[in-house]
Amino acid sequence: MEYVIHLCILISIYLILTQSFNISFGLGLLFNLAHVASYAIGAYATALFATELGANFFECVVVSMLLSGLFSLLIGGISLRLEQDYFAVGTLAFSALVSALLINWKSLTRGVLGIPGIPRPEFLSIDFYNNLNFLFLSGSLAIFVLIILYLLFQTPFARALKAQAESESATKALACNTALICNVSFFISSAFAGLAGSLYAYYINYIDPSSFSLTEMVFILTITVTGRPGSFIGCILATFFLVLLPEPLRFIDMSPGILGPMRQALYATILFVVVYINRRNIFPVKRSV
Amino acid sequence: MDILPQLLVNALITGSIYALASSGLSLTYGLLRILNFAHGHFMMAGAYVFYFFVVEHELALFPAALLTIIAGAIFSFLALKIFIFPFTAFSFFLAFVTTIALGTLLESAVSIVFGVNVKSLSTGASFESIEIGGVYITPVQIIIIASAIILLSLLACVIHKTPFGRRVRALSESEHAAQALGMSKNKISTLCFTVATLFAIYAGVMVGYETNLQPTMGNAYTIKAFAAMILGGLGNIWGTIAGSYLLGLIENLSIGLDFGGYSLPAGYKDAFAFLIILLVLLFRPQGLFVRGGRKF
Repeated sequence: MEYVIHLCILISIYLILTQSFNISFGLGLLFNLAHVASYAIGAYATALFATELGANFFECVVVSMLLSGLFSLLIGGISLRLEQDYFAVGTLAFSALVSALLINWKSLTRGVLGIPGIPRPEFLSIDFYNNLNFLFLSGSLAIFVLIILYLLFQTPFARALKAQAESESATKALACNTALICNVSFFISSAFAGLAGSLYAYYINYIDPSSFSLTEMVFILTITVTGRPGSFIGCILATFFLVLLPEPLRFIDMSPGILGPMRQALYATILFVVVYINRRNIFPVKRSV
Repeated sequence: MDILPQLLVNALITGSIYALASSGLSLTYGLLRILNFAHGHFMMAGAYVFYFFVVEHELALFPAALLTIIAGAIFSFLALKIFIFPFTAFSFFLAFVTTIALGTLLESAVSIVFGVNVKSLSTGASFESIEIGGVYITPVQIIIIASAIILLSLLACVIHKTPFGRRVRALSESEHAAQALGMSKNKISTLCFTVATLFAIYAGVMVGYETNLQPTMGNAYTIKAFAAMILGGLGNIWGTIAGSYLLGLIENLSIGLDFGGYSLPAGYKDAFAFLIILLVLLFRPQGLFVRGGRKF
């Protein structure tokens, strides 16, 4: 039972993380490989504020979301001036810069040792050390975020974001400020990634840089691509499917040194197969006007 | 004590490895317009194959190298046919995503087969350094620098002096015009991709002798090669090679020199390199060494 609850909590965290990636990547085709860095910033902000300053749950969540959001403006400021392939490399450099900082800024992040002993949230005199109670917290937050994002997907903002992915100049011609729209989409997706990071830090109680590596980014990418970029329901289903998929591997007798790479290989294979099957229509072809 | 000469030599060594790795990446980008994310993983996997032959099966250097080259050529052909060609016609994203998948697959395959622990190709003898005018250098490092110069000049000769090179240049300058004149993009890019992969593998083997091998090094080298390419301008081979040496120089100077009593800790070397990429992207996104539209 404890195991099922654990999986449910993971799913609720990943639902927030992947659906927020789905905004900028799925709708806007902004290949933001620094999404995992926003996630890391949220987690580290929570870890540091909760352990060093003793901040409460709400303060930590708000600070994490704000810091991740502000970080995204930095990415947006630099990367949105770049065309598609430069953009991917630019965000990749951002993500690498953040993980290099996490590893090396030892006075703040304790480097590869990570930050242990992050206390679970405390409010309403509920015992969140009980995983079931924590599941209610993370699950309700995930549902809340999904409702907000679902509403966001129906707005003119989402349509403008989609339009600029298909043709930037045509969207501009319709008096749409594409740069502003991209930046706002970054801010939103990054802030929610920060929320996911915050929940992750609270749940696991311990974070280290390896949880926020490029491998994690590949996982997020696999989920979003499998669910079809830009599809709200698809992303949710893919999150459930892909988080649960490697779990049976746990019950096969294998050394942990092999288990990790096996999981990685499984996700990479799925990513490739999905892209191969849908290669004709997975990303809208840029239209020239 | 003046450490500047030593730093410059170290920069030359690092730069040579980056140049060997990134020139192939740049060649691929110029021809196929794809960012091959798995390039650093090719380095890693190739070096592990070489390790498999030389250390685990104790073959002599020459047959091991030959076998590695054959394996690398077959592998690069398959990678191109399966992971890149089916996608180039549709969207730039696709090949980037599939090469990310390929890189991850290679990393996990190597971790499963060889384990995640650090491996090294070097034997004790290669660490005996020679002193030349106050600068310490090992024989392996001399080989790295010399072979980088030889291989890169060979590449330059092929691209600028042969009919084949003329086709490569034509294709990367104007794909459609070159194809209309009867050049086969498939054939030429297959050959170039193979050369790029073999260069990467050679760089990986050199890394194995100079420092050590780890399954996770693929990502790091891919990002470094991208960095060099950003410095030089995407798809611009000579710019990329200059960018590689510049990157080596920046990395070594950033940790070696002290700025008014404060020197950067060694761990920040990488972070500093990424910061440079971002600054270049911000102020000169077309690359430092690009004039006009010509790529070569």
